[in-house]
Amino acid sequence: MSPLLARRTASALRYLLLSFAAFLSVFPFFWMVIGATNTTADINKGKVSLGSALWDNVNGFFTAVDVPLILWNSTKIAIFGTALTMLVSSLAGYGFEMFRSKLRERIYTVVLLTLMVPFAAIMIPLFMLMASSGLINTHIAIILPTIASAFIIFYFRQASKAFPRELHDAAKIDGLKEWQIFLFIYVPVMRSTYAAAFVIVFMMNWNNYLWPLIVLQSNETKTITLAIASLSSAYYPDYGTVMIGTILATLPTLFVFFAMQRQFVQGMLGSVK
Amino acid sequence: MDYVTWRSHGLRAALAGVGLMAAAPAFAAEITIWCWDPNFNVAIMREAGERYTKTHPDVTFNIVDFAKADVEQKLQTALASGTASALPDIVLIEDYGAQKYLQSFPGAFAPMSDKVDYSGFAPYKVEVMTVDGKVYGMPFDSGVTGLFYRRDYLEQAGFKPQDLQNITWDRYIEIGKAVEAKTGKKMTTQDLNNGGMTRIIMQSGNAWYFDKDGELAVEGNAALKGALEAQAKMVKAGIVKPATGWNDYVKAFTSGDVASVVTGVWITGTIKAQTDQSGKWGVAPIPKLDIPGAVSASNLGGSSWYVLAKSKQKDAAIDFLNAIYAKDLDFYQKILTERGAVGSLMAARTGDAYQKADPFFGGEKVWQQFSDWLGKVPAVNYGIFTNELDNAVTANMADLTGGKAVDDVIKAIDEQAKLQIQ
Repeated sequence: MSPLLARRTASALRYLLLSFAAFLSVFPFFWMVIGATNTTADINKGKVSLGSALWDNVNGFFTAVDVPLILWNSTKIAIFGTALTMLVSSLAGYGFEMFRSKLRERIYTVVLLTLMVPFAAIMIPLFMLMASSGLINTHIAIILPTIASAFIIFYFRQASKAFPRELHDAAKIDGLKEWQIFLFIYVPVMRSTYAAAFVIVFMMNWNNYLWPLIVLQSNETKTITLAIASLSSAYYPDYGTVMIGTILATLPTLFVFFAMQRQFVQGMLGSVK
Repeated sequence: MDYVTWRSHGLRAALAGVGLMAAAPAFAAEITIWCWDPNFNVAIMREAGERYTKTHPDVTFNIVDFAKADVEQKLQTALASGTASALPDIVLIEDYGAQKYLQSFPGAFAPMSDKVDYSGFAPYKVEVMTVDGKVYGMPFDSGVTGLFYRRDYLEQAGFKPQDLQNITWDRYIEIGKAVEAKTGKKMTTQDLNNGGMTRIIMQSGNAWYFDKDGELAVEGNAALKGALEAQAKMVKAGIVKPATGWNDYVKAFTSGDVASVVTGVWITGTIKAQTDQSGKWGVAPIPKLDIPGAVSASNLGGSSWYVLAKSKQKDAAIDFLNAIYAKDLDFYQKILTERGAVGSLMAARTGDAYQKADPFFGGEKVWQQFSDWLGKVPAVNYGIFTNELDNAVTANMADLTGGKAVDDVIKAIDEQAKLQIQ
C-alpha cells in the first residue's frame, strides 16, 4: 500500500467513525423533532418521517400544562441559581488560590470530599433542613443547596492558577480593595472561564430533576422537567405531546450552548486574555 | 388553566367556610392529593372531587400530578424524614407496593376499618391493604384479567366462544396449535422480560411469592410452579410470538398478528382503539391451573388511595373517599364510560354502563363478565418484596424457556430472591 493510499484509508476510516458518532449524538434530536409531528400511534409504530400532527401535539401540550408558568419557574430557578452559583463558587475558587493560609489545603480537601457524597445520601437530611426552615414547595429550596458547588469551586481554583498574580499585586498597589480586584480585574480577565462555567451550571440547574421533585409540592411551582415526567408516566402516554415538551425544554440549553460556544471552548482550554 | 379555577373554587369555599365555621363543625378543608397519570387517576379524582364538592361546598381539592416513580420517591423521602407537613392528605399507591409502605412506616397511614364498609369491595383488593387485621386505604381501580381473543381467527380454526370457557392452560396450548395450523397466526404474545404473566397465573392459583404471613414462598409453591410450567410449555409448543418491550407487545395483538392475549382489563381501551377490528374480538375467562384452589380469574396491576394519618384533613379525606368511592355507583358508571376505569366496588355492576352490551366484542356484556371475575380473584398477600421477586423471575426466564427443568429454575429464583431481600 502506498503511503498516500494508507493515509487516505486512515482518513476515510476516521470520517466513517466520526459520522457514526455524529449520527449517534444527533439521532435523539432528530427523533424528538420527528416525534413531535406524529401521533402517538405512529410513534409506536416506529415511523421515521415527518407527520401532520404537530399542531395537535402543540395544542395537547399547552392544554395539559400551564406552559408559560412552568417555563417561568424553570427559567427563574436556572437564572437565579446560575447567577448565585457563579458568584459564590467563583469567589471561593479565587479565594482558595489567591490567599495563603495554613488551613487552606485542608479546608479545600474537605470541600472536594463533598463531591464524593452521593446526593441520595444527603437528600433526607437536606429535606428535613428545608422543612424545618419552612422552605418546602419554594424555589428558594431548590436554588440554595446548589449555590456552593464543590465542582465549580474546583473548576475556578484550577482556572485561577492561570490568573497572573502580578495583576493582583499591581491592582493592590494602585489602591484597589480586595473585592474591587475580584470584581473589576479578576472577573473580566476570566470571562471565558465564566462563560464555560455558565454553560455548565445553567444546564445543571435547568435539567435538575431529583431535588426539585422532592421539594416541590404543587402544580403551580413545578418545573418543565417535572411536568414532562408526569405526562410521560401516564398508562398510555401521549408521546407526541411529550415530544413537544422535550423540545421546549431543550431549546434554552441549546440556545445557551450555541450562544456561548466559542467562549465555552476557550474556557475549557483555560485561556486568559 | 384547570387548577386556576380549582384555586378560585378554593378561595370561594374558604370564604364560605368562614361563615359556616360558627354554625356547624363542617370541614372547611382543602384536600391535597398526589397521584399519577393526568388522563386517568388525576381526571378520575377531579370527577370525584366535583361530586363531593356539590354536597360539601366547603371542601376543595388540590390534585397534584407527578410521575408514578416520583410519587413513590416523594412519599418515601417525606415519610423517612418524618416531615408530616410535606405530605399530602391522600396519596395513590400501586397495590403491589402497598404492603411495603404500610409495614415500613407503621402509623403513617390512617386505618379506615371503622368508617368504611369493606364488604362491598372485591376481597382481593381489601387484602392488599390489610395489616394485622386493620384495613388502610380505599380500593380503587382493578386489573382483573381476561382472555381477549380474535373471534374471527378462532372461528376459522373451528372454535366457538363456548370452547374457550373453563379451559386449562394445556387446552389453551392445543387450541393455539390448531389456530396456527388453520390461520398461520400465533396464539398469543409475551414479553419474557416482563413478570406480568407469572403474576397473573400465580395469583389465579391462589398464591403469591409470599404466604399469608408474608414469608417467602418460592419453593414448594404449586401455583408459581404451575405458572412457570405453563409458560415454558407455551414457548416450547411454539404458540407464542415473542415481544420486546411494551410497544412491541401491544403491537402484536392490535395489528392482528396474534389470536389472543391474557392481560388486565385496562387493555380494553387499547384494543377498542382499533376501530376496524370491531366485532372481531371476544373476551373469555383466563385459562385455569390444574391445581386445587385455582380459578379462572386473576389480576394484573391496579392501585388504591391512602389517607395519611397525620393529615390535618384526615377526617374530611376519609369522609370524601367513603362518600364517593364506597357509595356513589353513578360515579363508577361515569369513570368506566369516560376513562375505561374498572373500580373494585362490586355494586357498581348494577349500573347502566356495566350492563351495556358491546358490539366491538360481538355484543357481549364484557363489563358484567369482568365484574363476575373481579369477585373471584383470589386474595393473596402481595408482601413487601414483589418487585425483587419479579426481577428474580424474569432473570431466570431465558433458562426456563431454554429447557431448564422447572424445579431447578425455582431453586435459582429462590436463591436469587434470598440474596436480594436480605
